[in-house]
Amino acid sequence: MICFTRRSLLRAVLGAAVGVAGFASAAPADEFPAGPINMLVGYGAGGQTDLVARAAAKVISDQLGVPVNVVNKPGAGGAVAARDLMQAKPDGYTMLFHSNTVVNSASFIMERVDFKPDDFEYAGMITAYQVGMATQKDSPFDNITEFVAWAKENPGFSYGALSPEARLYMEEIAKKNDLDANIVPLQSGSEMINALLGKQVVLAFSGGIHYRYPDELKTISALTTFRHPSAPDVPTIEEEGYPLGMDSRTTIFLPKGTPQPILDRLGEALKAAESDANFKKVTDAADIPIMYLGVDEAYQEMEKTYAKNKEIIEGAGLAAN
Amino acid sequence: MSALEYLFVGFQDVVDPGILPWLTVGVTLGYVVGALPGLGKGTGVAVSIPLTFYLEPVAALGMLIGIAKGSGAGSAVSAILLNTPGEPSSAPTALDGYPLARQGKAQKALKMGLYASVIGDFLSTLILIGLAAPLASYALMIGPVELCAILLFSLTFVGGLSGRSLTKGLIAAALGVFFATVGLEVETFVPRFTFGLLELEDGISLVPMAIGMLALAEMIVQAGDLRTLDAETANIKDGTAREDRVVLASEWRRCIPAILRGTAIGSAVGILPGLGASVGSFLSYGATQRLSRTPEKFGTGMIEGVAAAESADNAVVPSSLVPLFALGIPGSVIAAILIAAFILHGLTPGPLMFKEQPRLVADVYAAMICASLIMLIVGCTGQRVFAQVIKVPLRLIIPGVLLLCSVGAYMETGSIFSIYVMLFFGVLGFFARKLDFSFVTFLIGFVIGPKLELSFRQSIQILGHDMTNLVKHPIAVAFIFLTIAVVWWIGRGNRPAAAARHLEPDVAAAPHNTGTTRNQKGG
Repeated sequence: MICFTRRSLLRAVLGAAVGVAGFASAAPADEFPAGPINMLVGYGAGGQTDLVARAAAKVISDQLGVPVNVVNKPGAGGAVAARDLMQAKPDGYTMLFHSNTVVNSASFIMERVDFKPDDFEYAGMITAYQVGMATQKDSPFDNITEFVAWAKENPGFSYGALSPEARLYMEEIAKKNDLDANIVPLQSGSEMINALLGKQVVLAFSGGIHYRYPDELKTISALTTFRHPSAPDVPTIEEEGYPLGMDSRTTIFLPKGTPQPILDRLGEALKAAESDANFKKVTDAADIPIMYLGVDEAYQEMEKTYAKNKEIIEGAGLAAN
Repeated sequence: MSALEYLFVGFQDVVDPGILPWLTVGVTLGYVVGALPGLGKGTGVAVSIPLTFYLEPVAALGMLIGIAKGSGAGSAVSAILLNTPGEPSSAPTALDGYPLARQGKAQKALKMGLYASVIGDFLSTLILIGLAAPLASYALMIGPVELCAILLFSLTFVGGLSGRSLTKGLIAAALGVFFATVGLEVETFVPRFTFGLLELEDGISLVPMAIGMLALAEMIVQAGDLRTLDAETANIKDGTAREDRVVLASEWRRCIPAILRGTAIGSAVGILPGLGASVGSFLSYGATQRLSRTPEKFGTGMIEGVAAAESADNAVVPSSLVPLFALGIPGSVIAAILIAAFILHGLTPGPLMFKEQPRLVADVYAAMICASLIMLIVGCTGQRVFAQVIKVPLRLIIPGVLLLCSVGAYMETGSIFSIYVMLFFGVLGFFARKLDFSFVTFLIGFVIGPKLELSFRQSIQILGHDMTNLVKHPIAVAFIFLTIAVVWWIGRGNRPAAAARHLEPDVAAAPHNTGTTRNQKGG
């Protein structure tokens, strides 16, 4: 309740501030945008999220008729960029294109990060990450249940983990089934692919890039609440009795207090990406499904995943905050 | 059609007026991006990918590969002329290139850097074309356990690079490893030495650190010596004598083994996943110094140093495409960025692409060979322009370089914090110079340390916490024994370097002396 009051109060104060600023400047909200927009990306140039961001920036720029400049601001998995965004003017000219994990999971895992869903406004979400567990094509298991049966016969197997979440999944499964797992730390998606193809690990956590290797790798579990469009026959982890599905999507973040008309205008522009041929070319090339959510749905999704992930991560005794 | 016939058709395709100009644009762009500190090939290629949407596949891929190749050659220019490596992998080029430039031999150093770049790049491209498929399957045998042993072995190069005092070299290397531990610990994401700063969670970035240690520190030292330097700049500018401007036949004879060794090391590093161009150029520089008859002269303007570093730096790029083409695995950052571009333009990297699209693959190969030659032309033209820098008095250069340093540090993360990082390491570098601590070993510790830590942690898990499982990894065991042997050899003081130093203590120069001493030697 306190939180709610504070939030509405904050909104009112910021709204008033924006109102004043709006009158003072030559460009009120209904004429948005009157100049170039800066789009922050919390990862370095060239990664998956960066490529999707650049393609989305192109679409938004075409829709709004102003340039959209992509500014890479890597650091702490996007937390540096998100913190900078919080300090930006809430006028719609600075936004952040990033995975919503910076709010809904980094907040629980990284000691110095503590964002909440209502620290930002959202203009929409556009693509989903097909987070899953990947293994070699010829592995003798096709889902978690079969894997557990195999792992009991093969104690001391190696599992590749990119992040604390990735460790969490294996630790939870191992705890529940009394498995003996060696968790191998990996640093990047390409290292994960190497470890799988080189048979250094029997199973690995993947953010979705393993779908580029359909001839060598297969998915045994979708770690999301939905089945992956790229592998509709593979069950989700929840279907197999572990309530651990954590969804993540690329999201457009804006500073708290950005006026609703501006959010709607940006949301509309982002929606055009859903049917844009060039955007689809980029996402198809990387096997990234487009799953558009509008302004209000994005906010709900954020609140929902935040609450759920908090429960999962704290339940596993991993939370840093 | 046979492979050679395909390649022939590929050349015909590439010489097309719709493609060759784009290749040239790519190489030129890369050359300029490479010469500017802070703008790396990764950024160059990533920013250009959307531009290539409107090009034909071969033109687009040729342009992107051109950027990647060109920047490797360009980064030597600023390393030699300003002591500011355009990319971190050219840091060892500056160690001997800059002293050469101060001696009035800028043209010679630039030429050697370019020739070494082109030869390294060209030979490595041939390795890619000829061996992509067979080599890649071996690369997969090198897992974390093997990598850990190889990295351990490469740390022994510290012994050869330490300069006058092995103790100081080891201290500097240990400091490098120490600074590399800053940031999130790889296994459980516990922050180390971040002091609550989010900017330090990803660790200290190599670019601002290297710019601070090398360029900024050098500028501080030189600014303290301005009067002497002004007098010298009046005497030694761009050398006009022929032997100062061209690479002499005798120098070629000394450099060719260095270039070939650099190419071999660079290609091997490129094929192995996750090492990167910086490791390649540092190892090559270290190996060449170690095998030299006059290792103590390195750092004072040995042309072999330039040749060794640049050939390895450039050999990494094509060979890092070997695992990409043969298995679809990106072996380097640049390959990971290119993979997206390849797929966008209809070429999915992997073993199937040779069967499904032999002509497109042949076109890409032909474009890569052409890019090597274009690099030679662009480089020859470009360095004539850039070399004018050496005629400008240092008084005017220092502020300009400081500006470039700041921009370079800022570019990568877009954050002022990086400039503070640069300043911090500038001060550290200044004292390292004054107290004669080697910053080469510092950088080696910094580059190799984190990779060694990660692969060691991985190895523990893969070996199931049991040392005896090592017997299943013969390559790793071989490297461990090699390491022990080299350490024993160094410990006994049998290094030729040490022997030489004992014999002629007066002639032997400190590798990392101040600019003044270097200039006196040159003059």
